[in-house]
Amino acid sequence: MNQFFYRLENILKEQISRRTFLKIILSGLLILISQNAFLKWVFAKQKPSGPRTKREVKTPYDLVAIEGKDPYQNTVRAVEALGGMSQFVRKGDIVVVKPNMAWDRTPEQAANTEPQVVAALVALAYQAGAKRVNVFDVACNDEKMVYERSGIRKAALEKGALVYFPNHWDIVKARFPYKSPMENWPILRDAIDCDVFINVPVVKHHRLATLTLSMKNLMGVCSGVRGLMHIDIGEKLVDLTDYIKPELTVMDATRVLLRNGPSGGNVEDVAVLNKVFASTDYVLADAYGAALMKQDPMSISYIRIATERNLGLSDLSKANIFEKKV
Amino acid sequence: MKKPWVLIRRLSQCLFLVFFVYVLWSTTFPLHGKISPEILFQIDPLVMFFTSLSERVLLSGVSISMGFLLLSLILGRFFCGWICPLGTMSDWMASLNSRKKILNDETNRWIRKVKYLSLGIVAIFAILGIQIAWVFDPIVIAARFVSLNVIPAVTWTVEKLFIFSIQNFNLHHSFVYDAYRALKQSFLGIKIYYFSNALVILLYILLIFAGALIFSRLWCRVLCPLGAIFALVSKRSLLERQTQECAQCQICQKRCRMGAIHNDASYQKSECILCMDCVYDCPGGKTRFGWQDRKTAEVSLTTVKQPAGKGITRKEFLFLFFTSLVSLAAGKINSKNKLTGNQRKVIRPPGALTEAEFVDRCIRCGNCMKVCPTNGLQPVMMESGAEGIWTPKLVPEIGYCEYACTMCGQVCPTGAIGKLSLPTKQNTKIGIAVVNHATCYTWAYHKNCLVCEEHCPVSDKAIKVIEEVYNGHKLLKPQVDPNLCIGCGICQNVCPQRPMRAIQVRPF
Repeated sequence: MNQFFYRLENILKEQISRRTFLKIILSGLLILISQNAFLKWVFAKQKPSGPRTKREVKTPYDLVAIEGKDPYQNTVRAVEALGGMSQFVRKGDIVVVKPNMAWDRTPEQAANTEPQVVAALVALAYQAGAKRVNVFDVACNDEKMVYERSGIRKAALEKGALVYFPNHWDIVKARFPYKSPMENWPILRDAIDCDVFINVPVVKHHRLATLTLSMKNLMGVCSGVRGLMHIDIGEKLVDLTDYIKPELTVMDATRVLLRNGPSGGNVEDVAVLNKVFASTDYVLADAYGAALMKQDPMSISYIRIATERNLGLSDLSKANIFEKKV
Repeated sequence: MKKPWVLIRRLSQCLFLVFFVYVLWSTTFPLHGKISPEILFQIDPLVMFFTSLSERVLLSGVSISMGFLLLSLILGRFFCGWICPLGTMSDWMASLNSRKKILNDETNRWIRKVKYLSLGIVAIFAILGIQIAWVFDPIVIAARFVSLNVIPAVTWTVEKLFIFSIQNFNLHHSFVYDAYRALKQSFLGIKIYYFSNALVILLYILLIFAGALIFSRLWCRVLCPLGAIFALVSKRSLLERQTQECAQCQICQKRCRMGAIHNDASYQKSECILCMDCVYDCPGGKTRFGWQDRKTAEVSLTTVKQPAGKGITRKEFLFLFFTSLVSLAAGKINSKNKLTGNQRKVIRPPGALTEAEFVDRCIRCGNCMKVCPTNGLQPVMMESGAEGIWTPKLVPEIGYCEYACTMCGQVCPTGAIGKLSLPTKQNTKIGIAVVNHATCYTWAYHKNCLVCEEHCPVSDKAIKVIEEVYNGHKLLKPQVDPNLCIGCGICQNVCPQRPMRAIQVRPF
């Protein structure tokens, strides 16, 4: 310690030349400038990334809706009627199954996707030869409690899926080929970095967006201040869905929330429909869900905008729909 | 090994420290199936007795801590040397400095008296209804340090190391990332906790460590009131240090970490923490610990007996009493703020007692802040007055009160936060949300937002919607129903307006 002070004193006593002085100032400035860039380089690499490319699949029907007591069997039947999971998933694929598990509620309260629907999709994906199936969602309540109480974690783990909590540092910055309000939005890298994306929303009430359907469910792959997405929600959801381009949308209408959505909490607000429907066209799936909830699809902002931009079919009378009651 | 008893003592210290940190670390969701962190404080007679005394309740921990006192009657002050986590950490700190001060008999005699004064202050305050045991209690200090400083720092470092390696060596698809995910679900936890004013809490324990560098176990010898309790109990303990044919080399006197050994190789039994160093320091091997038998008892009693007038004198006692009274009066006047009365100045966790009782009962152990799943409970500095320092408050910007969670009440060792059942908790008001019409996106900027209404967990939404037509499109304005709002703060947490949220929760 004494030696240190001694040396410090000597340095201070010496005359500092102009050259040394400039060196000190310059190096100090360099450190200051590089610090933030360095920290960002080390801990927050945010690469820009374009939209996902969708795997095009020809299906016998535009949409398949199955009604029955067992949600697991409903899902299996719906995917089979669409042509089977092997059409979507090939050997060695990384599959993302993205359920709606945002709220700390039990399956009976119908705020989250029915666990058996998720379990069926995970099992089907593995049967089709998937290397790994990732199940995650950015929850609105505490993640650990949500994963536990919704029952999805347990059901998916039983079928061998990897259920984990999304990391908000592991993101990409969205880049769009057109002008978009979602430009530069942080999106989870896992949602982009996969071969097949299966969207598994639940049909329920939502005060602002009228209904929570497949496009609204994709908010669960976004990081950042997600509340800001609520401003001009229609346009943002359509851009986001066009960015993710889910291969398959399996919508869970086993139990639907009629009031006090999207968080719900009261079993009296829940109606049991026992339906599961699947489609490759997310606009059509949303339109069918809206009709199921006795709403005009065109009254819902994001379905209207998506139809205007020709992203899918929203006219149910023109679609080739297969409905079956078991 | 040459020193089996020292080895066993160190092993016991390490084991209890590891147990201590493990219990605090596992204080997280889900709580069932884990050791309750209450147990760490229930073995602590200082906190249990004086909180019971000042609050006029009987805490369940009193009986457990009584067991430790009874054990001390037989073994002596073993708690300080073999169990106390702060003592263990102080010992480690002290080992860093090989040239610590060695005090002479005279100084030792008066510094060890100070801790009886601090015990006296705690006792007088407790009798008059104020609990300040938390200021001096070593277990509380250690627990707060581990929960609010050590665990956030360690998890932060591990997390950043993983992030660095995954991002810069492109390990996104390797087993490292899977290991990281598995760690996040268990050891690291999803959130890396942050605590405001954690630096002040760190400073407090750093002062204690710095003291241990000056002379060994400065805190335990001079200030610790828990040590004072054990010292009082173990004055006549059965296990004692026996020396025969002492050569008066005074090596043990110089090396004793508690300064318990006098110049003439006799010792102060109440100061001995049974560290067993002197047994092996003695060059002739003349020192040993053994059970007191009747014959030697008389001898040892005469050697232990202090010279007259070396206890606390009447003058010192009166001084202590009146300074306590004056500071107490000052504190009481401060807390009896006529303007606010019992109104809370900060949002307290659900189930908290009334403000004055809560501040009194809370021992600032940090359990509730550690267990809070959203990291919303933060230590207060001065917002609730000087007497409320380091009590928990809810900061909705950082984290809200989770609707289906009652964990803070479950881990509170003194019942300052009540153990509520889930339905009771879900109907307990801790605050009321207020929409700021000047900054709300809908009220002020006429854009539909309604994030607050979406997140409201009450099943008949406490945020009602007023529909209006503005410029040809429908506007949905949020409005709080004060009868339904429970003040959980999730609306404030998710409100996208910055820097001030447009909906804010006021304490109820």
